[in-house]
Formats: sequence, C-alpha cells, structure tokens
Amino acid sequence: MRSLRWALIGLGVAGLVAGAIPLALAIATEEGHQRTLLAIFGPLTGWAFIGTGIFAWLRRPDNGVGPLMTALGFAECMAALRVSTEPWVFITGLVFITLQWALLYHLLLAFPNGRLGTRLEIGLVAVTYVSAAVAHPVQVLFQDTTRRGLPENPLLITGDPDVVSTLGRGRFWLGLALVAALGVLLLLRWRAASAPQRRVLAPVLVSGGLVMALLAAWYAAVLAYADESLVQTLEDARIVVLATVPFAFLAGLLRSRVAEATAISRLVARLGDPSERRHGLRDTLADSLGDPTLALAYWLPDRKEYVDAAGQRIELPEPGSGRVCSPVESGGRRIGAIIHNGHLANERELVRAVGAAAALTLENERLDAELRANMEELKSSRARIVESGDAARRRLERDLHDGAQQRLVSLALSLRLARARVEDGSEAARELDSARRELEQALEELLELARGLHPSVLSDRGLDAALEGLANRARLPVELVRTPGERLPERVESTAYFVVAEALTNVAKYADATHATVQVERVDGQVVVEVRDDGVGGAEPAKGSGLRGLVDRVAAMDGRLEVDSQPGRGTTVRAWIPCG
Amino acid sequence: MRVVVADDSVLLREGIVRLLEEAGFDVVAQAGDAEDLIRKVSAHKPDVAVVDIRMPPTNTDDGLQAALEIRRRVPGTGVLVLSQYVEEGYALGLVGDRPDGTGYLLKHRVAEVERFVEAVRRVGEGGSALDPEVISHLVGRARRGDPLAALTDREREVLALMAEGRSNQAIAEQLVVTERAVEKHVTSIFGKLDLPPAPEDHRRVLAVLRFLRA
Repeated sequence: MRSLRWALIGLGVAGLVAGAIPLALAIATEEGHQRTLLAIFGPLTGWAFIGTGIFAWLRRPDNGVGPLMTALGFAECMAALRVSTEPWVFITGLVFITLQWALLYHLLLAFPNGRLGTRLEIGLVAVTYVSAAVAHPVQVLFQDTTRRGLPENPLLITGDPDVVSTLGRGRFWLGLALVAALGVLLLLRWRAASAPQRRVLAPVLVSGGLVMALLAAWYAAVLAYADESLVQTLEDARIVVLATVPFAFLAGLLRSRVAEATAISRLVARLGDPSERRHGLRDTLADSLGDPTLALAYWLPDRKEYVDAAGQRIELPEPGSGRVCSPVESGGRRIGAIIHNGHLANERELVRAVGAAAALTLENERLDAELRANMEELKSSRARIVESGDAARRRLERDLHDGAQQRLVSLALSLRLARARVEDGSEAARELDSARRELEQALEELLELARGLHPSVLSDRGLDAALEGLANRARLPVELVRTPGERLPERVESTAYFVVAEALTNVAKYADATHATVQVERVDGQVVVEVRDDGVGGAEPAKGSGLRGLVDRVAAMDGRLEVDSQPGRGTTVRAWIPCG
Repeated sequence: MRVVVADDSVLLREGIVRLLEEAGFDVVAQAGDAEDLIRKVSAHKPDVAVVDIRMPPTNTDDGLQAALEIRRRVPGTGVLVLSQYVEEGYALGLVGDRPDGTGYLLKHRVAEVERFVEAVRRVGEGGSALDPEVISHLVGRARRGDPLAALTDREREVLALMAEGRSNQAIAEQLVVTERAVEKHVTSIFGKLDLPPAPEDHRRVLAVLRFLRA
C-alpha cells in the first residue's frame, strides 16, 4: 500500500510534466495546429484524467478504472504534442491521436469494476486497440501532412493521398461500427441495471456516451465529405466534452462506493428481518445486488463439490462466460459461492462484503443443501438396491428355467423311457410311476417359484403381455381397461407389474370381489397404475405386509402409492411411478 | 414322419430325439439355435419342427421368432413350440390367423410321452395342439362383450377341446359321451358363433380362432 502510494505520487509528478510540455509548446508556437483549443484543453483534459485516475487508483487499488483513466490522461498529453511545429514532436502527437479513444472505449465497457465481462466485450476492445495502435500509425506513414498546411512528416514513406484516404475511410467505417456496438451494449446494461446501479452509471454514460457519439458523428461527417466547418465544429466539441469525462468517472466511482454501503446495510437489515426469510437467501441477495440471475452454490467438503439448494451437483461458471463466481468463507472455511453476472455494477469487493454479511445464513442453507444432497444419495442408493434385487431375481429365474427345469424335464423323460421297458404291474413299474408323479409335482412347484421370482414374459414381451398374463391367471374376472401399449424403462415395468400382481393377489385373498379392473397409463412423465375392485374394502397398507412392501418399492422409484379402501365400497390401489 | 428338433439343451434334445425315434418318427436333423433351425428346416423340409422358445442368440423368444419365420418361408411345415411357462400371448402370436400346423405346449409335457407324441403327429399332419393350461387360461379370462357368452358350459368344454386340436372322437372319449353327442354340440357351437357356411374342417378352424381371440 505504501509503495503504491509512492509510485502513484511519482506517476502524478510525471503527469504534471507530461501536461506541461504541450502547454509550453502551445505557448511557444505561433501557428501550431488547433493552437488555442489544444493549448487549453489538451493539458487540462490530460491532467484531469491523470489526477482523477490516480485518486481512484489510490482509493480502489483493486479496481482497473483508476489505471485506465491515468493511461488515458497520458495518451491525451501525448496527443496534444501535435500542437508543435517541430516535425518529430508534431508527428509523435499525431501518432498518439487515436489511442485515447480506444482507452475511452475500454473504460466505458469496463466501468465500474474495471474488468471486461464477456468475450464479445474483450473482442471489441481488442479490435479498437488494433485500429488505434496499428492501423492509424500505418496510415501516418503515407500521410503528406504539408498538404494541409501542417508541419512536415518525417515518417513519410510516400505521399499517396489514395492510400491515406482508403486506410482512413476503412478505419472510420470500423470506428462507426464499434461505436454502434458500444451504444447497444451500454443501452442493454442500462436497461438491466437497478435504480442504485443507474445512479452510478448515469454520469459516465451521459458524458462518455456524448463523446463517443460526437466521435461517431465526426467519422460520419468525414466519410460523407461534409462541410469543413461542420467537421471542425464536431472535433472542437468533442475535445471540450472530453474534459468533463474524468469528473463523471470519479463521480460514478464515488457513487458506487455509496451504493455499495447502502446495499450492504440494506442486506444486513433484511437478513435480520424474520418476514424476509421466506424469500430465501438467493432472492434477497439477487435483490440487494441487483442481479436477478444470481445463483448460490453450497460447498460440500466431504464430496469436494458444489451443490444447489436442492442438493444437485453444479458446475461453477468458466472464466470468460460472462458469469463470475465469488467464494464465500466463514471462519477461514469455504462454505459456498455466489455466482453472479460479470457486469454486476457493484464489483467483486461488494460481492465479497455481501457474502461475508450473508455467511451465517448461507451456512444454514448449506447445511440444508447438504442434507438434501445426502437424501438424494440415499434415494438413489435405495433405487439401486431395488434394481439389483430385481436383477438377481431375473438371473435366478433364468437359471431355474435354463438349468434345473431342463434337467428335471429330461430326467422325467428318462423315467418314462425306462418305464416303457418295465412290465406293467411289477414292483419297478410302481416305483417308477411314483417317482414320475413326484417329479411332475416338483416341476410344477419349480415353475410357480420361477414365475414368482420374475415373470419372463415381462422382460421378453413387456408390460402389456405380462399384465395380460396376470389378468388371465387371476382367480376372478379381471378387465384390462388400459395398458401402455409401448415398452417402458425396465425398472418402471417391473415396479408397475409388481403393483398390479400384489394388488390382484390381495383382491383374491381378502376383497371377496366379483370383478376387478386394471389400468396402466403414461401421463405427464409418470406411469399411473390403478387396480380397482368391487369387494368389501377396508384394506390397510399398514397391516398387510404385501401392500406395505409395495409402498416401499414404489417410493424407492421416487413414486408414491395410495390405497383407497372404505369398508363396503371396494378397494382402489393407485401408484404413480416417475417415467422420464 | 420327418422331424427336426431344436433345443439348446443337448441333454433334453437328445431325450426328445430318442423318444420320437422310439415312437417311430424319423428325426432328420437337430439344431441348437434359431439360425441353425431355420437353415436345417429349409434344407430338410420336414413335416414338423419341434422348437424350444428360449434359444440363443438372445435367449428370449428366438425360438418363437424362428417358428414364425418357418411358417412364412416354408409353408406346409408344422411347428410345435415348447415353452418353459404359460404365455397365451406367445400361443396366439404363433397361431396367427391359421391354427393349422401349429402347436404350443409347456415344456414339461414332453415327459407325458403319449400326449406329446400325439401332439407332434397332429401338428405334422396339419392339425393343431394347444396346451390345456393355455386353454384353461383363455377360458378363465373374462372380458366384456364375450362372444362365447351364449355357449352352454358343455359347449365351452367341447370348444376348448377343439382348440387343443382334438378330433370329435377324442373329445367324445375325454367327456365320456357318444361321438354323435359331440357332433350335435359342435353344430350348435357353429350356429351360436354365427359362422358362415363352409366345409366342416374350415368351420372348426374358425370356431377355434373365435375362441382364441375372445
């Protein structure tokens, strides 16, 4: 801080000298270029920019506006050197004449935080600098300045008016386009700004915008070969108005300090106000900082990742995306981050201050988010357990059909063949017949078991066919009112199937019904399963372990299940299963 | 009668082959997967193919798909499909709109040798054979607007046995009535189902289809 101060004092002295030189030259020169105007406004504007720039630099060392303003001041002083009749001094001033406009362009886009927000802005500023620092000096190499009654150009390669005119016109057209883009960007920023932000922006946009508008008008006048006096008037006006710009920037910066303090004190008051809590921290911060797109990220130290309020993992914005991320810490510990617009009129410092003020609330919300993230994890692990259970049952069913059943059937076949070789009525025949009957019984039981584990038809032919099978096997008439008619995700199909199977088993066991209907349809991203009977009612999921199991199973899929069963009015089991 | 047997379980396939050969069939080829089956049926043009539903390559219903393919590509070949479990959808899909030369039996029926052999023979001769368990499911299912509602219980029984593919004589034996009585029921069924006049064989097929689709 101390060394910065000394450096800035040194810079101030250099600035005084830089302004004094053109002033001295103007006094010493009788017939210099635009003598009176430059003699007064060149050094004046230069000093004003250097002075206010150094002041802003001192007050806000981390803000880029101060250095930019100082640089603009020096550029202005250099450009004022063109007042001289000495060829080398004159041409130095002429070369620098465009740099100040590029710097002003940069300043307007970077105000008030001193940084460019988006790639578009960076690109526009880069083009402006190239036009000022490359295209214009190249043009000077071909400019025979004596033609316009100016001092001689010692850099002259060849005095070709065509080259100068072509380069100049190209640069002016480009300048017009750049100023137009600037106008649009500033207008958009103005429209997006909150009232306090507008108070900060207003002086800068008015004076800076006016200068840029005068510059554009001057480009247009030159391009249109307008009257010489009009061109001259526009140029003079621009030089005069430019002198007000540094003060506008200073006013804006000071106002932004006030706006910050106001925003923070208002935020602190709101955070303490119970009636504000229902809005949530994000809304309060978005409002205080005037950035409706603001988002909060909560840090989960165990997982080393950021999540949103719902506990879902989120990625922080990349640099240059126009969004900026400011970390929030509490007691030296990272607790979260504020993701905000890069244009946020109140700069990073403010966001940091706001973050510090909101740290306690943020920590509370972080704990909530952590809880939600853990719940999400729990939910998906529950779903995974159900799915792996399903997969295991499918494997077991397949193994039974492909292994045990095949062997038992071929054993039965062997028994039959053996039986055919034995005389009827013998002891062996009786033994073989009894063994065969046992074996048939075993096969029946095996098939029942396999079907209970997992219905093959479900994997092979889908829910429609499997429901048809269920309806056909049921011990009472079952009407399939509606089925999906398409294949659904495997876990959805099996959950829906088990709901219908279990519900129909219950109907057959307890309902004393004459008729049941089954309806499965896909509505708004979920599958709705309904099994309805005309029985005695009075079923309670809490009592029957079958229904209880169904409730858990459906919940594991993030769905829900309801049983409506008033005594004497039948039972309706309804499940909603999410199905993306 | 010439037969091709397809099953990916070698043990069971050998058992079925032995059983059919003892019953006097000529087993001309054996296949272990669906493609092999189609190739061998196209080459040997057997009277009937006995096919396990679950076979490689996908081990789902490849056998059924192969059976449908055979019905399209080699008409006149009977296909008898063996299934590990009852699935009416499979049976109805196989039968399509012509039950002649099709059969669908539960796999463990092969151990009921006489019945199995009889079913193979019937399918090979262009008749049909549906597993009684499939039929009982179809009878058991209740739907609104059932066209079979007008039938008496006895007539349903007769129709179900017709659907299994039995002849009038076999039905008479099963129900312990005279063949004459069965004929009377059959005529009554044709009338109640409002079947158009046609040769007896064709009307039987229509009645069975009506029953299967009910």
